[in-house]
Amino acid sequence: MKEQKALIDVQHLKMYFSIAGKGFGKKSRLTLKAVDDVSFSITKGTTFGLVGESGCGKTTVGRTILKLYEATDGKVIYDGQEITKMPEKEFTPYRRDMQMIFQDPYTSLDPRQTVNEIIGAPLMVQKLVSSTAERDERVRELVAMVGLKDDHINRYPHEFSGGQRQRIGIARALALKPRFIVCDEPISALDVSIQAQVVNILEEFQQEMGLTYLFISHDLSMVRHISHRVGVMYLGHLVEVADVEELFRHKRHPYTQSLMSAAPVADPREATSNKRIILEGDVPSPLNPPSGCPFRTRCRYAKDICSEAMPELTDVGSGHFVACHNML
Amino acid sequence: MSNHLLEVKNLRTHFASGGGIVQAVRGVDIHVDAGEFLGIVGESGCGKSVTMMSIMRLLAENAAVKADSLVFDGRDILSQSEKTMRSIRGNEIGMIFQDPMTSLNPLFTVGNQMMEHLRLHKNMTKEQAKARAIEMLTTVGINEPEKRLKQYPHEMSGGMRQRVMIAIAMCCNPKILIADEPTTALDVTIQAQIMELMEDLKNNFSTAVILITHDLGVIARSCSRVIVMYGGLIMEEGSVEQIFYEPAHPYTEGLLRSVPRHGIEEEDSESQDKGGEAQTVERQREKLIPIPGSPPDLMNPPAGCPFAARCEKAMKICKMAPAQLTEVGEGHRSACWLLHSQAPGKDRER
Repeated sequence: MKEQKALIDVQHLKMYFSIAGKGFGKKSRLTLKAVDDVSFSITKGTTFGLVGESGCGKTTVGRTILKLYEATDGKVIYDGQEITKMPEKEFTPYRRDMQMIFQDPYTSLDPRQTVNEIIGAPLMVQKLVSSTAERDERVRELVAMVGLKDDHINRYPHEFSGGQRQRIGIARALALKPRFIVCDEPISALDVSIQAQVVNILEEFQQEMGLTYLFISHDLSMVRHISHRVGVMYLGHLVEVADVEELFRHKRHPYTQSLMSAAPVADPREATSNKRIILEGDVPSPLNPPSGCPFRTRCRYAKDICSEAMPELTDVGSGHFVACHNML
Repeated sequence: MSNHLLEVKNLRTHFASGGGIVQAVRGVDIHVDAGEFLGIVGESGCGKSVTMMSIMRLLAENAAVKADSLVFDGRDILSQSEKTMRSIRGNEIGMIFQDPMTSLNPLFTVGNQMMEHLRLHKNMTKEQAKARAIEMLTTVGINEPEKRLKQYPHEMSGGMRQRVMIAIAMCCNPKILIADEPTTALDVTIQAQIMELMEDLKNNFSTAVILITHDLGVIARSCSRVIVMYGGLIMEEGSVEQIFYEPAHPYTEGLLRSVPRHGIEEEDSESQDKGGEAQTVERQREKLIPIPGSPPDLMNPPAGCPFAARCEKAMKICKMAPAQLTEVGEGHRSACWLLHSQAPGKDRER
């Protein structure tokens, strides 16, 4: 599996936030471990799906890779180059290569800019166009690529529907001809019939331009549809990683198992035939995570060892990694 | 015919807004029986929530609600006084809203909000109400209910707040529970907990449940009967099996094609795995087929079928007049001109 080159290699990534606790002063600050020792790599031209419940740190992983946050520890290697410690000035050319599509198409576009300005902004910032005429030309191409009309470019975001706005967001991300795009829940704010339109566009562009995606989502059936490899996160930790079909067929971690059994399937016979594994309670607070394995408080198989030591991410064969003391 | 617990005929709800009149619901028939789990599915703006709010008479003053009949438990809802409505709402019809973060009052404790309900509707004393509140919190699976009663909504997680909402909605033993996107704001594992809970309540108290959602997966699992709405009209109605396996309306077909349907728990033969890495990466993906275009503007609803503009099978007639709901099987009705006796290809067996 190592024959294909990894475009993104994340090694022991940690992202801690210092947040205000009770009282004043430095001593009262608390550490929130949003991402704790996460490692994975993404092969060129493929999609890596990252799933988990809200607050598990999946968005933080995406943002830390793009250096929107400064990682506390660990490395992100982009195309053989370590980028985590790189000064912003040196990093600027890399920003061209690494773009992001945001979750909410209603708040991620400036309401006071026209489509032309929104999509053209990255081109101007990176000085890839020398005149506004050249910019307009390029924006027209991009708008056509995502299936919008020519006369849309002088309109404002409020004149568009959610699906169309997400297309504008995609056009903006594509403006710099990136090689890697972080898609942070790109479809969850859209209607069902529109979601498929956006997913299809993303897939087409991947085939045409060999794009690499980090696809962050909580929609398991969509992740299964679009991803080549999938990672499951829980409370800042990566608990299981495998190729998509391997993961969906041979779930080895109890959390993955219950997460998948809980996911709604749009097929009544199948839905009623598989038994939901209902988890007790809620996700613990990341400010005060349980000792040992983060999942042990809700795990049916938890033993003494689970509260003592954090299980390592172990290779169980054919590129399948699991972090659990009592693998299924 | 009128033995249904709730029966609505030709419901029309219009809103006066700055830019004109929005025809949110344009003639909808719905009936529910005791102990039934009815799902209403549709995209945002299709009128599914407004239909339910109209039935509860909860809409603001700019809404005009008209219906040929709107009967709940033998009573005509539209002619009831606001006072009687207040005794029906919450008492006989319980409602759960989408957002558990905003539908509880942040200034009162959970216990306060639960007990107010019971004292008002059931004339209970404080002690009785407290005992009942504790009992309900236990039923919905909240630990240490006595402690929770004294807490404020912000002290609870989203899943817990939604449980509290269900406990409040259920504490008066309503005949109907209307749940408007009850799990949309929640994570899947919590969603599973809540859906399981609603199924239990339906089974144990034979409460009728009306579940409004845009998630076909949630419908597939829990509902027995499904109504598909689009552009303020019912497009198709039938049992969950009929809707998912024999859809008779192009919109329903389109919806089903636009979501990945391969199951999560699929059991495949091991032999397929042996293809190795390369094959998995280049695996043939079944392509999603999106519905082109976007939903109609209900300020100026199309004269014909609301779906005609996006429908690949649209004929001339579709743009001129809306189709009537036609029987295609037992309890299975679809509003599509293709089902008309004179439609082309009608002789071809479905």
